[in-house]
Amino acid sequence: MNDSSWSIFVVLLVLLSFILVGLRQKSRESQEYGFGGRYTGRIGGGAAIASNWMSAASLMGLAGIIYLRGYQGLAYVIGWTGGYVLLLVLLASQIRRFGKFTTPEFVGERYGSPAARLLAAVIAIAISVIYCVAQFKGIGLIFAFMFGIGYEQGVTYGALAVVSYLVVSGALGVPRNQQLQYLVICVAFIVPLMWLARKLGYFWLLPQFGYGRALTDLAREFRIDFTLPFAGDSLFEWCALCFTLMVGTGGLPHVLSRFYTVPNVRDARWSVVWGLFFIALIYWSAPAFAVFGRLLEARQGIAFTPVTARASADVIALKTALMAGLPGWLVGVLAAGALSAAFFTVAGLLMTGAASISHDIYYSFMNPKASERARMQVAKGGTLVLAALVLLVALNPPGLIAEITAVAFALAGNTIFPLFLLGIWWDRANRYGAIAGMFTGVLCTVAQPLLGGVLPALASYFPVTASALCGAPLVICVMIAVSLATPAPPEEMRRFLEQEVHGHLD
Amino acid sequence: MSRPEKPYKVNLLRPKEGHMRDEVRIILAILFGWGVCTFGFQFLVYACRGTGAGSLLTRLTLFNLPLHFWFTGQFLPLWFIVLCVIFNIYVDRITEYHSRRRDRSYE
Repeated sequence: MNDSSWSIFVVLLVLLSFILVGLRQKSRESQEYGFGGRYTGRIGGGAAIASNWMSAASLMGLAGIIYLRGYQGLAYVIGWTGGYVLLLVLLASQIRRFGKFTTPEFVGERYGSPAARLLAAVIAIAISVIYCVAQFKGIGLIFAFMFGIGYEQGVTYGALAVVSYLVVSGALGVPRNQQLQYLVICVAFIVPLMWLARKLGYFWLLPQFGYGRALTDLAREFRIDFTLPFAGDSLFEWCALCFTLMVGTGGLPHVLSRFYTVPNVRDARWSVVWGLFFIALIYWSAPAFAVFGRLLEARQGIAFTPVTARASADVIALKTALMAGLPGWLVGVLAAGALSAAFFTVAGLLMTGAASISHDIYYSFMNPKASERARMQVAKGGTLVLAALVLLVALNPPGLIAEITAVAFALAGNTIFPLFLLGIWWDRANRYGAIAGMFTGVLCTVAQPLLGGVLPALASYFPVTASALCGAPLVICVMIAVSLATPAPPEEMRRFLEQEVHGHLD
Repeated sequence: MSRPEKPYKVNLLRPKEGHMRDEVRIILAILFGWGVCTFGFQFLVYACRGTGAGSLLTRLTLFNLPLHFWFTGQFLPLWFIVLCVIFNIYVDRITEYHSRRRDRSYE
């Protein structure tokens, strides 16, 4: 078998095993407990947080952006881990005590406004769509690699595969075993890296540290200084990007709703620590792929020009594995890990997005008398519409995987993070403030493409992938100003916040 | 006749006495540690560029990685984990303290 048929084989094997394990788990659970979902402890909860988080952005985009931009790319590593600190200390236990599962539900309840809820639902769906575009790009690239076809064809086949997976697993009612998923994704990323380090003659037991020598060799043999800080970019850009990704993490709807799967607040907090550790395992490794990739390219005399490097950045991990001559099955394992991460992220996001269309937009706003069946049909149709929309954008992707994902984070950090922060920590925030804040947040996110031509000086403070450093504080100020200028929210909400959310131990 | 106490207004910057004040204290401490190490270090690297201290930051190596690259790429994620562990231990402790005062339910 050659490389690509090996990878097709391994990928099919992995996806099939997820379905089989899910089905076995389902039959066992319905015998033991009578309902799905079981508690797996703090470590299990952490693995679930990490597998929920892992996507094409972590497994393909991260190595790509570091390969392309060196030290600047580390802003992604820091942004996507440091965000969990914000989430844990400011929001995790409070959201749980508030007791609303999804972002639109929280906004609707806290701000007591159907309009704010509708707006939050639309924004949450937009975030999912942007996030999915990045995943689709990853899926398309891997499909193109596996079947040796063009990118457009790859992404179309990938979309078909995702939708048919959704239909099959939905019809069978397969629960996701997220612990197994994390294990597979983590092993599929780190074992090829260890093999790579060993083959290149570096310390392979912990390639996360072993790549330091490769960095030194790169500088000595080829005079490539990979680590130069702030070479092409400014300090402002680094910090803005890092901050945006951090607040975006704290505002990403599918991350926020994770805290309800754990039975008590204390275990929810500790599972965040485990989750962060599991995520960091991958993030410590990603720069190694980037460094090995640069080294191998330099040794094989492939020139590093901005255009060619940009084209190959997102598949640099796979490319490095091929350049180093890793065995075909191992390349397949690497592809299978990244593909299943992207696959399950898309499946989860499309499903929650469609549920939100059906529940928060159609049922709550357009047709409150809708029957169960009609809502179900809207949800199914919504999945297809969202998938088609994502495919349409992904056919001509506007940037690298990490960059597209960063836009989704910017939107989340500019809109949903301030809503939650003030909603939890300031009882005077009201519906007018929330609505004004959301509009300002959307405006900040699109400021650069919108105003770039007219007011370039202003637009430069809101770079499209990093608009939240100026955006989120601005939105918070707007929310405070508008809330103070309009009537206070009802007394019941204030009392609820004081007694239930912050007064559970008084 | 005593007037009823003025109701407490929820505000991060003016926490209520008891559990909430302790909680906010540790939140602000953790956020300080988070902000200084993440952004403060980048300012330091930027400010020291081209000077003796700057070349120290980029020439000294740890695990063969230049110090600044190691700090950002490897130490900071670890530091975030440490911060989260400190936060959880502290919150566990104040939760225990305040629930013991109330009814020993620990939750």
